[in-house]
Amino acid sequence: MTTLSQPAPSRLTTGGILNSEWIKLRSVRSPAWAFAITIVVTVAFAALLSIPLGGQALPSADAASELGRTATTGVLFSQIVVAVLGVLVITGEYATGMIRSTLAAVPSRVGALAGKAAVLFAATFVIAVIASVVAFAVSSLMYASREVSASLVDPGVLLPILGGALYLALLAMLSLGIGTMLRSSAGGIATVLGVLLLLPLLLSFIPFDWAADVAPFLFGNAGIAFWQPSEGGLDWWQNLLISIGWVVASLGGGAILLSRRDA
Amino acid sequence: MINAEGLTKRYGAKAAVNDIDFTVQPGRVTGFLGPNGAGKSTTMRMIVGLDSPTAGFVTVNGAPYASHKAPLREVGALLDAKAVHTGRSAYNHLLAMGATHGIGKSRVREVIGMTGLESVASKRVGGFSLGMGQRLGIAAALLGDPATLILDEPVNGLDPEGVLWVRNLVQQLAHEGRTVFLSSHLMSEMAVTADHLIVLGRGRIIADAPMATILARASGASVTLKSPQASQLAQLLAGPDVSITSTERGSLTISGVSAPQVGETAARAGIALHELTPGNASLEEAYMELTKDDVEYQTTSALLTEGASK
Repeated sequence: MTTLSQPAPSRLTTGGILNSEWIKLRSVRSPAWAFAITIVVTVAFAALLSIPLGGQALPSADAASELGRTATTGVLFSQIVVAVLGVLVITGEYATGMIRSTLAAVPSRVGALAGKAAVLFAATFVIAVIASVVAFAVSSLMYASREVSASLVDPGVLLPILGGALYLALLAMLSLGIGTMLRSSAGGIATVLGVLLLLPLLLSFIPFDWAADVAPFLFGNAGIAFWQPSEGGLDWWQNLLISIGWVVASLGGGAILLSRRDA
Repeated sequence: MINAEGLTKRYGAKAAVNDIDFTVQPGRVTGFLGPNGAGKSTTMRMIVGLDSPTAGFVTVNGAPYASHKAPLREVGALLDAKAVHTGRSAYNHLLAMGATHGIGKSRVREVIGMTGLESVASKRVGGFSLGMGQRLGIAAALLGDPATLILDEPVNGLDPEGVLWVRNLVQQLAHEGRTVFLSSHLMSEMAVTADHLIVLGRGRIIADAPMATILARASGASVTLKSPQASQLAQLLAGPDVSITSTERGSLTISGVSAPQVGETAARAGIALHELTPGNASLEEAYMELTKDDVEYQTTSALLTEGASK
């Protein structure tokens, strides 16, 4: 028996929690799939939008915003994958019972959720940036023959790429919070997709003024509007604050319920 | 050491654990027994902070579990062999658990070796048998080299070699001065593993004593016999205070009558006895006697008596 041969292990730390969540994220299949799909979809849309149509020349001033747009159009599709991933990261633990191992190792419920959120946020942001940068490179190659080009660090390119990535990372947080509250994969995914896609659609069918007034405050609308140019409406920073507000409400609700409930 | 005072867990009006006080001492194996629904698992979950008590408190090594700086080093718990993500390999599961406390690959490999999981460590847990899942759960409990071990049904699903291994392991751990608190429904195994017993029934403690005391206190001394005319003998022995059971044809277990009485009755009737064994109460009998009024989910079918089956 060699139970005592081990030198005393160190104690529970924030770095340890983050490391643990990073190992968890890498060691099951769904995050790898979700991130691979995010990259493929983003690049594929950029390539599709960069196919020459007609012979219209592009004014050089618009080149940057055009390339910025093609590099981030895929976000509108990969957001579904990110939303599902954000839910599964926590509900997968509930479905398998893993959550009890997690909370036995990290008894601070808020700490456990914060660690999970931080790692998922960072991973989603980095993957989304990589996806858009690759998409930008592919677009640039396809546009090169038409003498349309822009630098990656041109604000017209860089800001949408960073904004789109931030949106996806915030969406992952919204989903994580909803998944934590509902503890069910099916219910969590349905709720997130409902908030993201169904709610804006529903509001657009309501023939009252308040429906149109509320619409900009939905996560799906504000989250896109803070980095995509739009006419009128709220300022970019207002849209960003609204998006962050949704995330705070969702993760806060998740943290409160996680702390109160028995695991 | 585990110390519970006034520990209570209510679900609505029903008290799963009802105001219990107990102490689990280091240096010995403490068995935790009780019928299904008696509150054992709930108690164990409260010890590691997964469930919060409705009233009272429980401490581990002097402080609530969650307040320790290194919880995994204080307590290793196997509460549910399936508390593992089925899509993750055993190795990565242990690595992720250990990472929270800075416990590295070498210790993970060590516990994988100790639990005999080398050949399946890189396989996804979803494909594990019950026994493999138990071994992984025990590996996770040992990860932090903890001073206190809490094992809920550790031998459930293990092969005989595994059962023996768990028995030796927990006794070794207790011998090293650790606190070992384990539950099992396998009375024969508990009888040879535990030094001390805490018996729970309907959320209350109905016994908390050394194994030897509990066995001695039980009244269930009995006589076992084998005879080709067992059913005839059973009729002769039958009486108001006599209970006769038969587990196989030609074999009887009788309580309420002494072995000499049985032998003399058989001799008078000219019945041949092939075996006649006076027995002390087994842990199973002692347990049944202790918990007979506290069984939550009791089966109603009576034990088959050979006399009645004829």
